[in-house]
Amino acid sequence: MGRTPVVVLDNGASTIKLGVSNAGKDVRVIPNAIIRSKGDKTTYFGEEFEACRDFSSLNYRLPFEKGYLVDWDAQKAIWDGIFSEQVLRVDPTAASLLITEPYFNLPGIQEVYDQFVFEEYEFLSYYRCSPAALIPHGQLFSIAGIPSPECMLIVDSGFSFTHVIPIMDGAIVWPAVKRIDVGGKLLTNQLKELVSFRQWNMMDETHIMNDVKESCCYVTSQFAADIEATRANPKSNTILQEYILPDFSLNKRGRIRKPDEMTLDSDQILYMNNERFSVPEILFRPDDIGLPQSGIGETIAQSIALLPDDIQGMFWANIGLIGGNTKFHGFSARLLSELRPLAPVDCEIVIYESKDAILEAYRSAVHLAKQAAFSSLVVTREEYQESGSNACRRKFKDWRSADKEKDGPVDSGKGKASMRRVDEKEPSPPPSAKPVRTRTRTVSAVKRR
Amino acid sequence: MPPRRHQPARQAQAASQSLDAEVLAKRAKRRLDELERSNYAEPSVSYLGLEDDEDTGKSGKGRARQTISDKRILTGAGTKRRKSTMNIRTAILYRKNLTTLIDESGIADYSTNIPTYITAVTGPSQAPPRLLCSVCGYWGRYKCKKCTMPYCDLNCQGVHDETRCERRVL
Ligand SMILES: [Zn+2]
Ligand SMILES: [Zn+2]
Repeated sequence: MGRTPVVVLDNGASTIKLGVSNAGKDVRVIPNAIIRSKGDKTTYFGEEFEACRDFSSLNYRLPFEKGYLVDWDAQKAIWDGIFSEQVLRVDPTAASLLITEPYFNLPGIQEVYDQFVFEEYEFLSYYRCSPAALIPHGQLFSIAGIPSPECMLIVDSGFSFTHVIPIMDGAIVWPAVKRIDVGGKLLTNQLKELVSFRQWNMMDETHIMNDVKESCCYVTSQFAADIEATRANPKSNTILQEYILPDFSLNKRGRIRKPDEMTLDSDQILYMNNERFSVPEILFRPDDIGLPQSGIGETIAQSIALLPDDIQGMFWANIGLIGGNTKFHGFSARLLSELRPLAPVDCEIVIYESKDAILEAYRSAVHLAKQAAFSSLVVTREEYQESGSNACRRKFKDWRSADKEKDGPVDSGKGKASMRRVDEKEPSPPPSAKPVRTRTRTVSAVKRR
Repeated sequence: MPPRRHQPARQAQAASQSLDAEVLAKRAKRRLDELERSNYAEPSVSYLGLEDDEDTGKSGKGRARQTISDKRILTGAGTKRRKSTMNIRTAILYRKNLTTLIDESGIADYSTNIPTYITAVTGPSQAPPRLLCSVCGYWGRYKCKKCTMPYCDLNCQGVHDETRCERRVL
């Protein structure tokens, strides 16, 4: 039967992950930015950026500020492109949309999402939720034949911030969701600043420094030892790396210098020493830059402490990592070593790493979109035309639902609401049980004294 | 961020510690704002962002600035069929920054059993802060007497005094 195609849009603050549920495995990763290149004097909107070759001194206009969508002019310019026939190859007016939104998205911003989806692009129907809410439908935790666990704790460390999100029976436990104001953007900016102060002025080179960060940085499990090691003379310093800066006029990309690689006099070398680990370290020690917040390990413990006593063990045993920062080498090993002393001694800690942490939410969304039950989650264009954003407010579970369930519905909805079917009780579709996919599983040995 | 404490500035010893805390909190806040910038050469948050050459002047004052979404020209079939609704025009033309949006959302007044963006922030760390040299990143065993930033040795102290010292004045 010809089911309505579902456009899946993981609308991140750094990149958009875009695809169509019935169009095979194709996913496009598109900068969620309007980028001006000084080199070629061209402005690139979202998907056009793949044509850019000169990445020096790029100027970014980002629709998101501190993780929330505030610049709708910029977002529209980018969305107009990706929803066009050339990119999407689907007519929005004949399609459904599954789009992600930030955790604790503000009600006023949510309404603008609704307006764009139905009034500007005129989708048939849509569903909006946060990235972690999609994970139970994906394969991050799947072991052959066993469905996703009932309790899981997601660490989502992205561009704008890092969240710890406990999920029970497929639903986010909002009162226990915690946020650290450290994300990839902050890390890149911090690296940019350190390098500019110590070596080359790279303050205008966000794109290059982001590549340096992704190529050279790692999470250490022995900060004190590594910081000593970086003081050794260059020959015996095992941490020091040389990054050869790109030369776009010669079409040369930036790269790490290989052990015996000769360099030219014209090459500009960036020495990456304690910067390699002191930058990602901020995820675990935000107070290293004066931010009075706990790092990921302590935040996980804080979150789990807010959950019912008798099932806390299940959260310790099902920790899943998503988001670009979790790709830093050494991330899960460090996290494990931080969690071990924070968890009860007899408690097993298991960390599930995604094969592709940036796409995990997107892929989970595709799984959800393919299920028949997806159609019961969406709000239709007719429903929106009838009751506007109230229709979405009633149907989409988010942080405000946490309270509704306890005290009964709080939103007025006016006369219309009482005539409508009560959607609140509708179960979310069961998590999928699909064949296992390669993934790493980091387990702590259960130690007893 | 806790509310600022208003105290007489010169209450000798007792006040100096909380003043330090206040100075440090302010500095941390400013530092975070810097680290949120999308481009170096912008005052705080980029508004117009890209109006560098061809269309300066056009933006002018007032509300009549040209939107970037209207400037984007898409070719091919199926592009733009009709005018946007009033809701969409409003969203595009009247941008508000996050602080304003949070204020307007009223989440600060929600009852305490509703978790929000404001309540979700993680607590402070139990571990004592580490002192790292503000110049080279090694352990910072000494603290600048003027601004309390740590440094590790005489060499870094010199660099600190010349370039990084924030003194007391903020
Ligand atoms: Zn030093
Ligand atoms: Zn100083």
